Amino acid sequence: MIEIRNLSKKYPRPENKAEMFFAVDGLSLDVEAGQIFGILGPNGAGKTTTLEMLEGLTDIDGGEAYIDGINVQEQPFAIKQIIGVQLQANEYFDKLSLAELLNLFCALYHSPAKPADLLGKVNLADKARARPAELSGGQKQRFSIACALANKPRVLFLDEPTTGLDPQAKHNLWALARDLNSSGITIVLTTHNMDEAESLCGRIAIMDHGKIIAEDTPASLIQKHAPEAPVAPLHGNMEDVFLALTGTTLRD
Amino acid sequence: MLNSLSLILARVFLKMHLRDRQAMIFSMFFPVLFMLALGFSSGDQDPIELGVVNAAQGELADRFIGALGDNTLFNITEGSEEVLRSALIEGDAKIVLILPAAFQDIESASELRLLVDMAQMRQLGMILPVFEKALVAVERELRDTEPIFSLKVEDVKARAQGYIDFLLPGLLAFTLMTISISGSGFNLVEYRRKGILKRLFVTPVQPRDFIMGLMLARLVLCVVQLSILLGIAVFFLGATVAGNIASLYFVIVLGSVVFLSLGFCLGSIAKTQQAIMAIGNLFIFPQMFLSGIFFPIDSLPELVQPLANVLPLSFVANALREISNNGLSLLEILPQLAGVAVWFAIGFLMATRLFIWKEVAN
Repeated sequence: MIEIRNLSKKYPRPENKAEMFFAVDGLSLDVEAGQIFGILGPNGAGKTTTLEMLEGLTDIDGGEAYIDGINVQEQPFAIKQIIGVQLQANEYFDKLSLAELLNLFCALYHSPAKPADLLGKVNLADKARARPAELSGGQKQRFSIACALANKPRVLFLDEPTTGLDPQAKHNLWALARDLNSSGITIVLTTHNMDEAESLCGRIAIMDHGKIIAEDTPASLIQKHAPEAPVAPLHGNMEDVFLALTGTTLRD
Repeated sequence: MLNSLSLILARVFLKMHLRDRQAMIFSMFFPVLFMLALGFSSGDQDPIELGVVNAAQGELADRFIGALGDNTLFNITEGSEEVLRSALIEGDAKIVLILPAAFQDIESASELRLLVDMAQMRQLGMILPVFEKALVAVERELRDTEPIFSLKVEDVKARAQGYIDFLLPGLLAFTLMTISISGSGFNLVEYRRKGILKRLFVTPVQPRDFIMGLMLARLVLCVVQLSILLGIAVFFLGATVAGNIASLYFVIVLGSVVFLSLGFCLGSIAKTQQAIMAIGNLFIFPQMFLSGIFFPIDSLPELVQPLANVLPLSFVANALREISNNGLSLLEILPQLAGVAVWFAIGFLMATRLFIWKEVAN
């Protein structure tokens, strides 16, 4: 579904503008259709830059990328028709209701999708008349995904979708991602959350300094890099405590 | 250029802006307040504050002061030289006339002293001839001589025009500029800051549809807001529009498009909210003072007049004024319209050069 060959992006160094450095450095990657693919890595590893090049937001300095056989750089508008994007910044025109905003997105794609259906998919059916500013963090992320679904995309890009969410909202978003994935949408997401990588993603690429340093299924990666079985925990972790005390019901 | 998507966008933007009542009210606040403050003044000049030091204390001096006091142009305050001197310095009196002790006999000439503040040279230039004429009139009255001629002033325009009539087209032009610039430039920067432009960029929308939609919505709003202003001026303050109202609206629409596209240029250059404030003010303030909004360009120093005459706001304000005050038709104001057209070309070319979707979005 996604083929990336030797992709590069140069930026001037923040501390010395005359000097350039590679934010993404000769990256090659294949994402098969129907996967949930996770990109991990420390801040500044080049995760967002990679996504932005695939989305057409950032120019590609070297190499090439194809989504569904379409060259990203040569046919940006054809790419935009088949991808759905959730950006890290998820602010919208604040004087419009969610339904009106979704109507706008459907119009931008000339898509026949109905706002009510899209809101239903992300569990926000009762918020059609709400304004984005009235939403909680988790609801905002789900609304962002609803916007990204306006054109019935084949690939969905999620940039740190669970950063800043409470455990309930996080688990709810994972369930949504699995749902969308099982309906046939390929998902590429970036994350700092290792649980998310392990339990949600079918395959993982770990990036550092603009390069992929490991790529495999979570199980194989664990086998290869952390094979010792941990001492069987005598107890659960703090998240288990939190969920045991507060329940798994979504709070927003 | 206008397709269904830009119309849909225009409707969405219009809906958004109409819901932003606070912004609507505040953008109208200053011009309406200004117009009301100036419009309710009768248009008559305020009397000139004249201090008189009566050192003569005689019958002639009393008659003289009485005759001067009959002239409505002057508001007389009597007092000691010391008191009136400081009143002059503080601006409470414009001029101070000193009648010497020798001012007793109508047959013998005596020298009157006049204290002025030379720092107020500009105003004095207008006051002194009027004052001198008043003195001559008083002298004639005291000597009981008939003037050999009198001057009757007739207005060739033969219609009553007050300051409000002069002000109205200027204020329309100024309001048009500020709401257009903030409507396109300031909005663009805000959408960029919130990441909305970035989000729109990853949809297949064409930049021209986005720009047309935004401009169309702002244009409609601008026409509505100016109509409110015009309505207040005409119905509450008795302002008159001598020319064709359709021509007036033609210029309003043209002017809005010019400032909207110039606003897009500013919004594309400025990357932050602070930058657009600074750049916007740099654009707005000089034009506010140089474009003949509150006083004619002819009254500016000669050195800046050529510059003032080619500012975009000058062309728009002049065109509106020629229609509103002098009743000229569009054909008769071709030079002004040409100026507006040139600025439109500049704004449009620069906007298309500067508004690079990908760069503005990021």
